[in-house]
Amino acid sequence: MRENGYLPIRDYAAIGDGRTVALVGLDGSIDWLCLPNVDSGAVFARLLDAERGGSFQLAPSEPFEVERRYEENSNVLQTTFRTTSGTARVTDAMTLAPGEVLVPQREIVRKIECLSGSAALAWSIEPRFFFGRKRTRIERRGKRLIACSRAEALALGAWGAGEPRVSDTRIDGELRLREGEGAVLSLTAAHHEPAFLPGLDDTEHRLRHTQEFWPGWIGEARYEGRWREAVLRSALVLKLLVFAPSGAIVAAPTTSLPEWIGGERNWDYRFTWLRDAAYTLNALQTLGYEDEAHAFLWWLMHATRLTAPRLQVLYRVDGGVEADEKTLGGLAGYRGSGPVRAGNGAAKQVQLDIYGAVMHAIWLHADYHGDLGGETGRAIAAIADYVAEVWRRPDSGIWEVRSDEKNFIQSKAMCWVALDRAARLAEDGLIPNRSRRWRSEAEEIRAFIDEGGWDEERGSYVRASDVRELDASLLTLSLMDYAPGDDPRIVGTIDAVRRDLADGPLVARYRGEDGVEGEQGYFLACSFWLADALARSGRTEDAITLMDELVELANDVGLYAEEVGANRAFLGNFPQGLTHLALIGAAVSVSRAEETA
Amino acid sequence: MSLAGAIAGGVVGTLVLTSSLRLTQVLGITRMDIPLLLGTMFSEDRRRATAIGYAVHFANGVIFSLGYAGVFYAVGEAGWLFGGLLGIVHAAFAGGTLVNILLPAVHPRMGTPWTDAEETPVLEPPGFMLMNYGRHTAIGTLLAHVAYGAIVGGFAAGL
Repeated sequence: MRENGYLPIRDYAAIGDGRTVALVGLDGSIDWLCLPNVDSGAVFARLLDAERGGSFQLAPSEPFEVERRYEENSNVLQTTFRTTSGTARVTDAMTLAPGEVLVPQREIVRKIECLSGSAALAWSIEPRFFFGRKRTRIERRGKRLIACSRAEALALGAWGAGEPRVSDTRIDGELRLREGEGAVLSLTAAHHEPAFLPGLDDTEHRLRHTQEFWPGWIGEARYEGRWREAVLRSALVLKLLVFAPSGAIVAAPTTSLPEWIGGERNWDYRFTWLRDAAYTLNALQTLGYEDEAHAFLWWLMHATRLTAPRLQVLYRVDGGVEADEKTLGGLAGYRGSGPVRAGNGAAKQVQLDIYGAVMHAIWLHADYHGDLGGETGRAIAAIADYVAEVWRRPDSGIWEVRSDEKNFIQSKAMCWVALDRAARLAEDGLIPNRSRRWRSEAEEIRAFIDEGGWDEERGSYVRASDVRELDASLLTLSLMDYAPGDDPRIVGTIDAVRRDLADGPLVARYRGEDGVEGEQGYFLACSFWLADALARSGRTEDAITLMDELVELANDVGLYAEEVGANRAFLGNFPQGLTHLALIGAAVSVSRAEETA
Repeated sequence: MSLAGAIAGGVVGTLVLTSSLRLTQVLGITRMDIPLLLGTMFSEDRRRATAIGYAVHFANGVIFSLGYAGVFYAVGEAGWLFGGLLGIVHAAFAGGTLVNILLPAVHPRMGTPWTDAEETPVLEPPGFMLMNYGRHTAIGTLLAHVAYGAIVGGFAAGL
């Protein structure tokens, strides 16, 4: 199952509590967990270093077969192990608090049940706080064990799970269960406060509450199309990526899962990208999650105040702007794909497309609610003025290239989107009205794109005004209403992308250089954008076929990474919010097209 | 030497003590959270407990300043240096007895070294000199109490 200590990325499932996310491997090992928050240091990082990363392993002591699923409409994971002796089921969850009671800050519960025969299992916990850069001590508090480092602690609760054995920085245990018997392991995390040592009853109560919460939450989703299961799973993944204290949404809960094995395209995605804003708002509102959509918009308006009218590419989940990129020495990287990075240098880049994403998101919200508020309206108008001023400058584009800045056509089109949405908001009386200037600048942008961004010979838009290459991000032009889906230039671009960038359902972002060495996989969001664009262009059957193929690409529990290789192996950070957002958008578009066809 | 000065010093000293203990928490030096520890004696609601805990800790700080004043009157001397020395005794009593032994004995939600917490949710006990919450907790506690004592002593002596 493991190769040199590493599982395929596809073999992970995610559990979380709205503050952080843990990744559980198909072999029962929790190989990724940052504490206390998703963007904090990792305490389990076996994902990035099989030997030194740290993990919470739980599996049969003898050879086994395994299958797993999420409990129906839930982020509670069930892994079933079958051995020659019997069958055992492990239920994994990060628990949610049932009301205003004294509960641990964070908690992972692993409930073990023997379903048939007998089951011998072994478990071990190796915490490595702060990505393994600080020493971990294991201490006793009465009969309880606590792993701690500086002001962080993990307290172990073990009921029926065998007598824990402590070595230097590791806790092990073994248990044997007969049919009908069970055991529970819990890890409660304390950050800068005394550890909580809950009892079995409370632990099971929180687990039951968590099991009840998720189906109730997802039951509110509005989507009845043919990919309902995939859409609901994507919504559940997005809910895991929402940082509940602020409403921000991280791009992915991991750092440095490589875009190519052995390559250096390893980035930290534990930040909120403004680019994803429009897709997020659209997806949440489409599915009926008004609370989450509203919270995210408020986070967005609050976070961007620090830099407005200039917007930063990404922000921390707490709204902070510091995201200095550094290399974490001491971790080998997934399958040796170093370096492992914390922070993201893209924060300092200029990426003009984000203005279109933000304006579109605000317009969507205002369109739904019909009001923005005076102060917010003035801030939005100031952003539009800024776009009218800066759209002519080159940037690093949606793909955050680390080569020289260019006049990327998708960026220019998104500046058009920004000014168009601002003008619409102004004409609706929601923001100060400077729409004449904005519309005039928008027309200049369109002229620039028509002249420098169109390749007559290829019959498509191109990557940049001086780069005659294709770029799959141009598929978003019709998604963002830059032009109608059946516009000849949009259709030509779709055809060119299918011809030159696609391999079956998979779509490469671009073929040219980007300032980073090494190869990369196919970008899954681009595949969903293609399905969306096809539906908008009237080719509904093609879109349906593509969607069916893409839904099949998910892992066994319905999750996607950022990219896939030609061999269908997942690459890049996982699970990836943008992929799931694009899935929801495409599913809704294609289903609508199917209804109207 | 003045009683009012000692009480005023108790108010200022408690603010300094609480702020500096909070700072050690934020800096990742300790997991000790005195307001939470005190407040959870009275409430299971985390937010309410923290608010109550701050109030109780503040009241304790003022009450302790009366004790300092008593010592100053008994000895016939006050001042920041003597107050600082009393702060060492105060820290040793708080960490070695008050919070380590008495608090777990009366706290309905705190574990003791002999509790295995099968029934109810409990807080991790502080241990000697609160070192269960991090080994540097003792140093932070000592320095904060020395500062408190020096302020009370200084105020009592009229600065």
